[in-house]
Amino acid sequence: MPMDDLLDSLVADLEPVRRRTSTGDALAIGLLCALELSMFLGVGSMRPDMRFAIAEPALWWKFATFGVLALLGLGTAILSFDPSISPKRGLWWIAAAVAAALVVGGIVNAPMHHQPDLAMRLNWRSGLQCVMVMSVLALPMLVLLAVLMRRGAPTHRRGTALAVGVAAATWGAFVFVFACPHDDPLYVSIWYGVGCAVTIVYARALLPLLTRW
Amino acid sequence: MAAAQAGDSAAYRRLLEELGPWLRRYYTRRLPPSIVDDAVQETLIAVHEKRHTYDTNRPFAPWLAAIARYKWIDRLRALKRLPTEALSEDISVPDHESAVVSATVLEQLLAGLKPAQAEVIRLVKIQGFSVEEAAARTGQSASLVKVNIHRGLARLTLTVQSQAYADG
Repeated sequence: MPMDDLLDSLVADLEPVRRRTSTGDALAIGLLCALELSMFLGVGSMRPDMRFAIAEPALWWKFATFGVLALLGLGTAILSFDPSISPKRGLWWIAAAVAAALVVGGIVNAPMHHQPDLAMRLNWRSGLQCVMVMSVLALPMLVLLAVLMRRGAPTHRRGTALAVGVAAATWGAFVFVFACPHDDPLYVSIWYGVGCAVTIVYARALLPLLTRW
Repeated sequence: MAAAQAGDSAAYRRLLEELGPWLRRYYTRRLPPSIVDDAVQETLIAVHEKRHTYDTNRPFAPWLAAIARYKWIDRLRALKRLPTEALSEDISVPDHESAVVSATVLEQLLAGLKPAQAEVIRLVKIQGFSVEEAAARTGQSASLVKVNIHRGLARLTLTVQSQAYADG
């Protein structure tokens, strides 16, 4: 197409646009977080022993780990929807936070009295259930972030998709912490890790294709 | 761009016209000439579709450069996907050996002639000058050029025949 014709068609197509802002995206995400958490707790999903568990460092370790990772993931994802911002630095921070969380988990794990049998500690039936529930809880956030990513202009689509996957997965895990009765750091590291990995893998595989521009 | 976001067509047109040459220079340095125009147009369309992502509180150039770079990488990936034909290492090239040998032998034969004969044979019989042009270049008369060519060729013939006889 000749350049003048292209410019004519672009100018003819011009309409005022509502500017995309990181604050607007953050507000939409905050709204979804509040809605999902209130609905999840509203249907009575909170673990029955929460009053006693709240005194356990392991529960706070779970909340802190997935809360911080979700915040880092969301921040990285939202910022990288801007074409001039790369998600690389945020992803490095996430990797560092995961390493730090594992170290802290090891420290929290040490004084706990565990059953000696590793198979019982890992409890694979319950673990698979956790993976499934976490994946489902991550879905609303994943869909919202995919819509925002599509509306934005990420120029590092794979990195942004990874950040979106981390954000959605760790948010799903954070919500699930309210319901999950397992506080053993080994169990959490393995099964929550698998649950997050599932969401991250399909976000990383699908989102770059769905948000091509 | 801020005016374009608000729907100002004239400002938008001016912006796009100014972006065109900048993008052309950008892609000319990075892409094969045959796809520069396509890349420029594709980037302008991307700028149009994603104009709502430009934050007016920040400079415009990095925003545009990020989109241009993104489209450039996209183009490179597309180029990578195109079928390519591997060049064989056994490509046949014409054999120059006989020509080189002939030239060497001819130089050796000409070296056995008088310089005036060798010079006019080179000019007229090898380089293709006319007798008059050779006469002008060498300072010999036209008839002397003809005589030198005739005698030189006769001497060359004799030399070749005698060598062939000696080789058996």
